[in-house]
Amino acid sequence: MSFGTVLRAGAVALAMTAPAMAETVKVGVIGPFSGPFSGSFGEPFRQGVETYVAMNGQPADGIEVEFIWRDLQKPDPGQARALAQELVAKDGVQYLAGFVFTPNAIAAAGISQQAKIPTVIFNASASAVVSQSEYYVRTSNTLAQVSVPTAQDALDKGYKTVVTAVSDYAPGVDAETNFAKAFTEGGGEVLESIRMPLSTTDFGPYLQSIQLKKPDALFVFLPYGPPTYSFVNAYRDNGLDKAGIAFVGTSETQEVDLQSLGDAALGLETGYFYSAAHESPENDAFKAKLKELYPNAEPNPATVAAFDGTHALYEMIRATGGKTDPDAAIAAIKGKSWESPRGPITIDADTRDIVQNVYIRKVEKDADGRLVNREYKTYEAQPDFGAQK
Amino acid sequence: MTSFPTRILGDLAVPLAGLILLALYPSQQAFLAQIAITAILVLSLDLVVGFAGLATLGHAAMFGAGAYAAGLYALHVWSEPLTGLIAGALAGAVVAGATALMLMRAHGLTFLMMTVAISQVLYEIVSKARDVTGGDDGLFGFTMQPVLGVWEFDFFGKLAFWYSLAVLWIVFVLLRRLMVTPFGQTVRAIRDDAGRVGSLGGRVYRHRVVVYTLSGGIAGLAGALSAQTVQVVGLSSLSVTYSAEILVMLVLGGTGRLWGALVGTLVFTVIHHYAASIDPVRWMLFIGLILVVIVLFLPGGLTRGIALIHAWLTGRRAP
Amino acid sequence: MASLLASILIDGFAYGMVLFMVSVGLTVTLGLMRFVNLAHGMFAMIGGYAAASLITMAGVPYILALILAAIVAGIIALGLEISVIRWMYGRPELDQVLLTIGLVFIGIALAGMLFGNSLVPVPLPDMLRGASDLGFRVMPTQRIVAAVVGLLSLLAIWLLLDRTMFGIRLRATVDNARAAGELGINTRRVYAIAFSVGAALAGLGGVVGAELLPVEPYYPLKYLVLFLAVVAVGGPGSVFGSLIAALLLGTVETAGKYLAPGFATIGLFVVMLLVLSWRPDGLFHRKSRL
Repeated sequence: MSFGTVLRAGAVALAMTAPAMAETVKVGVIGPFSGPFSGSFGEPFRQGVETYVAMNGQPADGIEVEFIWRDLQKPDPGQARALAQELVAKDGVQYLAGFVFTPNAIAAAGISQQAKIPTVIFNASASAVVSQSEYYVRTSNTLAQVSVPTAQDALDKGYKTVVTAVSDYAPGVDAETNFAKAFTEGGGEVLESIRMPLSTTDFGPYLQSIQLKKPDALFVFLPYGPPTYSFVNAYRDNGLDKAGIAFVGTSETQEVDLQSLGDAALGLETGYFYSAAHESPENDAFKAKLKELYPNAEPNPATVAAFDGTHALYEMIRATGGKTDPDAAIAAIKGKSWESPRGPITIDADTRDIVQNVYIRKVEKDADGRLVNREYKTYEAQPDFGAQK
Repeated sequence: MTSFPTRILGDLAVPLAGLILLALYPSQQAFLAQIAITAILVLSLDLVVGFAGLATLGHAAMFGAGAYAAGLYALHVWSEPLTGLIAGALAGAVVAGATALMLMRAHGLTFLMMTVAISQVLYEIVSKARDVTGGDDGLFGFTMQPVLGVWEFDFFGKLAFWYSLAVLWIVFVLLRRLMVTPFGQTVRAIRDDAGRVGSLGGRVYRHRVVVYTLSGGIAGLAGALSAQTVQVVGLSSLSVTYSAEILVMLVLGGTGRLWGALVGTLVFTVIHHYAASIDPVRWMLFIGLILVVIVLFLPGGLTRGIALIHAWLTGRRAP
Repeated sequence: MASLLASILIDGFAYGMVLFMVSVGLTVTLGLMRFVNLAHGMFAMIGGYAAASLITMAGVPYILALILAAIVAGIIALGLEISVIRWMYGRPELDQVLLTIGLVFIGIALAGMLFGNSLVPVPLPDMLRGASDLGFRVMPTQRIVAAVVGLLSLLAIWLLLDRTMFGIRLRATVDNARAAGELGINTRRVYAIAFSVGAALAGLGGVVGAELLPVEPYYPLKYLVLFLAVVAVGGPGSVFGSLIAALLLGTVETAGKYLAPGFATIGLFVVMLLVLSWRPDGLFHRKSRL
């Protein structure tokens, strides 16, 4: 045993026996950990963060990260602002993360900007969000980002006419306008744009009237869970597939819903940023660790967004050595690229928004009889088209 | 009635409670401001539920109307806060007054369903008018001038707290005064026995419309405060879920007494706050159990419980 | 034009029958026992979960699972009636509203713990999936099943109320509980059975309506307004009124979807407001007749 090894072993032992020496970096995570959105966002957020931590340990020697979870069930800007303020002032967090709903992310932006708190957005997908604070970074997606390549793919498949049917709320409208713009610019024609109230339970009538228009394809955007389930079933049960009207979607077949959609989902084609069936060592490692920690969890786009968000946090913490230096932290993440379970991603140096591949996928059965989104075409390095107006 | 010193002491309770809370939670002033704003809203709800005896699931409609009105006013007209409060209160009163004409002839389930329908229609309209209201992305992009030209809004919510507390105090004191006037007593008599008041020549319908409009105005005021202190207005401020939540707070504290509204709001939000940080998943179970227990074993809520304990200790009959 | 009208009527009828199925039990408790039960949707949800579990875990055939699900919902409701709800008859409406909201919250939390927060599909047998051809258009087969089950339930309710001893006792109790008691009718038992049967019907509705109103923990809260709207518009206590109201609201919303897609929901609520302003006690106010 050389003198150097002894010294190093001693140093390690010292570091272990003296936790007080370690720099603790607190990160406040705000998300719906209870309530109707916990299954599709809150739980995946937590799983994504903890999977990343389990795989990577602490960001650096002597720096410990502590996550503080705060529940915010629904869009509630007042509560969002109060929680962010409390995390900063009382708990002394250096970073914020999470945020499912756009109004909540916008309400917290004032705190992030004025208190200089670097914040990683795990979901809130309106284009405007990231520009609300100079300390905002996003690791999810925007609707424009996924709908534009989806429209290009629809044109490539030779569809000339579409009807768009989206849920009547901001993300739906974003998806509709961006898809329609890209589709018509590429020479296609949008026969009708239908906005369905969010509370719709019976989609039959919409699908019947779409059938009368006889488009080549139907572009869809719906929130996760019950609406998607009812819509996909209604699409089959009203015979639109047999009438040759193709289904063009984005997030509808994502993993949180996929198995409960059942065989009705087989053959549906969508364009989105993450498929659990993505073939890469990074994704395999991520899925294996997730399975180990949470045997019942599905690897979900929201899980990956939180996983990559944690990577972004680690990059910033490492760059500042755990010290409070928001400007250095945000400078360190700008322009960073890395290989995520979803594929290669980059944080844009100017917009602080994510640049990533968008994959066109088809729902198939894997060897175990489970439904998967099989990727078969890639649109590389897609930016947020919504911000580049 | 209560003696003069007791009444003054009661009037001072709001600022006292505010100072105690501030001492307990010195670095959570945005949270305290939320409590004060919610307390104003729950007070206004008590006028309808407790004093007029009508169960509503649509009270957030007036809160949301006030919030959007104040937000739009700050964005397009003038970002001065106090006139913004007036704009919000007016919007709440207008929504309440207009719908009261339709609502106040109904009662029971019909009334409940009509309040739900009205707030849903308003919700859909605001959601559709996204060019004006921002739809479900929320209404944002306005900043407020300093209050009275002196005190600036800060991001830690210090001003938000004092500002909301002051408005809560004024509302509480005025409502206390109002409830002992002949008007307030008539309203209570209507709740207890509308038929009798009617046969004695009291104008039941008109009184109900006035109370509902007043309540709507106060709810709108709370909405305006929320818009100004948060600087974002979301669609959820109009939702039926929110109406249900404030109803739970009121019942927890006890209906028909202004104290109940304050105690209920405080206890609910503080418990929610801790439950949400400890175990958010069980929160629903917990609040459900609390509701069932209160309805079964303590009708009248916490303030009634306190009154009972007080009566037992002093050997007097419970009020 | 004619085919558009036919489509509105057919889809509206099928949707209305599902609404009727899940709400009819509520009209019984609300109108007959004057109990404002906001937890009614919970029994529909229980039925849905029961059927889904029976089919996926135990491989029970769909029709049998449907019946068992109704029985499970009925039994759970009976337990609740005896332990809690019994004490609430005659209490102020506000208390009933609050207690049942409390029950809804508990139900949501328990469902989330037991079945997870995502939706649970009720698998249909192949025979009932896909589309049936009506000649000028196709129709989801499942929707036809829902309508048939709805009509059968209507028939069963009518037989129960009109042709059985229990029906006579129930009507006597509702008209005058004290007099009925003096005549030797066990009014407590009558109420308990009526409540349980109402819940069983909701359970049935929860299963056949699962394609439209998917089963998940927030089911009782999400669709509450829909159920209450049907009962309020139809007139609490009137089974026939609920049917008409369900068909009316179903058709109005469906027509909205065909003619003014973005405004279907507003249309529904506006119609509800108009009907209730015009007739505060609903279209068919019960005056000691069912």
